[in-house]
Amino acid sequence: MQRDVGSVPLAPALRARLVSGGFQTVQELLETGPCGLSKEIGISKEEALEVLQVVRQECHGDAERTAARSGASRKCTALELLEEEQAQGFIITFCSALDNILGGGVQLTKITEVCGAPGVGKTQLCMQLAVDVQIPECFGGVAGEAVFIDTEGSFIVDRVVDIAAACVQHCHLIAEAHQEEDHLKALETFSVESILSHIYYFRCRDYIELLAQVYLLPDFLLEHSKVRLVVVDGIAFPFRHDFEDLSLRTRLLNGLAQQLIIIANDHKSAVVLTNQMTTRIGQSQSTLVPALGESWGHAATVRLIFHWNNSQRLATLYKSPSQKESTVPYHITSHGFRDVQPPAVTQHAEGAEMNPRKRPRREEEK
Amino acid sequence: MDWDQFDLNPKVIAALKKADIKSVKEILNLSGADLQRLMKLSSADIQCLLKTVSHMLRRNSMLTALQLYQDKDHRTSQHQKLSLGCSVLDNLLKGGIPLVGITEVAGESSAGKTQISLQLCLCVQYPYKYGGLESGAVYICTEDVFPSKRLQQLIDQQHKLRADVPAEVIQKIKFGNSIFVEHAADLDTFHNCITKRISLLLTRGMVRLVVIDSIAALFRCEFGASDSVTKARYLQTFGAQLHSLSSRFRTPIMCINQVTDAVSESEAAQCGCSVVGSRVSPALGITWANQLLMRLMVSRTPQPERPPGVVSHHTGSVREMDAEIQKQCCDYIRSCQHCERSLHTWI
Repeated sequence: MQRDVGSVPLAPALRARLVSGGFQTVQELLETGPCGLSKEIGISKEEALEVLQVVRQECHGDAERTAARSGASRKCTALELLEEEQAQGFIITFCSALDNILGGGVQLTKITEVCGAPGVGKTQLCMQLAVDVQIPECFGGVAGEAVFIDTEGSFIVDRVVDIAAACVQHCHLIAEAHQEEDHLKALETFSVESILSHIYYFRCRDYIELLAQVYLLPDFLLEHSKVRLVVVDGIAFPFRHDFEDLSLRTRLLNGLAQQLIIIANDHKSAVVLTNQMTTRIGQSQSTLVPALGESWGHAATVRLIFHWNNSQRLATLYKSPSQKESTVPYHITSHGFRDVQPPAVTQHAEGAEMNPRKRPRREEEK
Repeated sequence: MDWDQFDLNPKVIAALKKADIKSVKEILNLSGADLQRLMKLSSADIQCLLKTVSHMLRRNSMLTALQLYQDKDHRTSQHQKLSLGCSVLDNLLKGGIPLVGITEVAGESSAGKTQISLQLCLCVQYPYKYGGLESGAVYICTEDVFPSKRLQQLIDQQHKLRADVPAEVIQKIKFGNSIFVEHAADLDTFHNCITKRISLLLTRGMVRLVVIDSIAALFRCEFGASDSVTKARYLQTFGAQLHSLSSRFRTPIMCINQVTDAVSESEAAQCGCSVVGSRVSPALGITWANQLLMRLMVSRTPQPERPPGVVSHHTGSVREMDAEIQKQCCDYIRSCQHCERSLHTWI
């Protein structure tokens, strides 16, 4: 009850009046009562009643929240954080080299930004992740669902079907090799149809629609609590035209980033954004840099840059709090996002190779 | 905007009117704190307001990928594509070009870019059953005059070119009547053309295809090296405009682009068009490439060798040309096998 009056969600004018009236804590307000309050700061009794109602609600909410948090208070040690992070799991990309430089895959509760020239495979990675997030837990996945926000209209459902079919087939191969019961059980419900029906697709045609959609996301995620991945394919596209006022753009983008961070944290989901590249003209030569400017660079926790070297696609980890900067090659095949591997390796070998890599880590966690 | 129809507390509506906020856009452009200050409301009210207007704007726009996949409706289905009237090309593109988005054909001169787009102008007029959209086309010329003679030749040969379509169906279509030709030699005319004239035609449902031949010609002479910022802004505006036309009317946009010689390796790598063995890259750089959904590179190979896959039902003067195109495509498939197996991987 020692809460500061300023922290109660009241209209700024009212708050100012309360403060100038000498009220400091919520307790004082409750003790004064509606009549007293209306006299003290010169507002009508109805308004005073409303104020008190808001205050009581807040206090009630506070009490509930502290009760819920009694076990795990806000403070936690780095060890606890580490354990929590390791228990969360990752969304694998099906390209083990890329998984390795990311430290296991795309991390939940973090924002990952994928930048790259057009045609290099950003959307392909997004579609791959939207499928991979649904891999059942016994196969080392996170058994989640995906939200796909498309601003460019580049979500091609036929491609997703290809990728999903390849993923299901891959899991079948693993199950065949191991003959474990939980594998077979999980595969009963893991089909292309179920994958498709758990990708929630939103098409946003301009930045206004995108902003509105992000405002609505928290409610959507409450209804669909299994969502572990939010993809915004093309954060740059709606913000790169018709903006005379660049400060407005920066402000809106920062707001958007903030909301996405909240979404990632509150719902334990990974947020993946794609960004375009643009040419920065330097003194002697021009270079390709991610679009949307310098301040946007702070928005994402992990930043990947995709680029070409002749006909080889390369992924560079450019910014990461935990992994070192490195570059690995990858391929885009008709099955989706894959490793560059010698052609002699058959799919069986690949399945066997992938599994030992996944399983030991899970055992360590326990 | 009439705020009274929103599901909002009367107090909030009054505050909106008092703060002189007129549109949803204005609300979403302001941050939560700004709104609190302007409307003198509490943060809980503002949260509620933002959610309500967002909900009004978005309604229930959620689709699952399964719904997208199973959608059989002509007007919304992603499966529907515009056929190019050539089985090799259609196979390469898994049925044709997607209806929503900008598709680009880039290549050296005489590689057959104009040919492909003229053929599209005819294909779009066929019934849905034969890969068309039962509607006309707009052809925007920016450099040359419209190749009407070539078009006439193609129209005359339609019954031979499209052996898969019954002759009476072809006879019924008045091909020449529904191709609208626009000439736009400079940026302002072009801008006017795509913002006003084309959207008028599209609204009336007279056309379902926009061809721009070529986009690079508009920018070639007007901009020097120092104007790259203005140029980029124009490209982004045009791209956005074409995008919105395309998605509003579900109309494919076909742009023809020229190529420039890539001076350095890195330059070629920038645009990602590393077709093996070629040293050209499409004009207009990365800004334009960012706007595209799909990019096709066409090229001409010197040896007149014919691959086994060429269909033999084409006759007359058109044959050479078509075979040529098909060959290029086969070459194209072969040369790009590593990445462009399914063309959606392009962009």
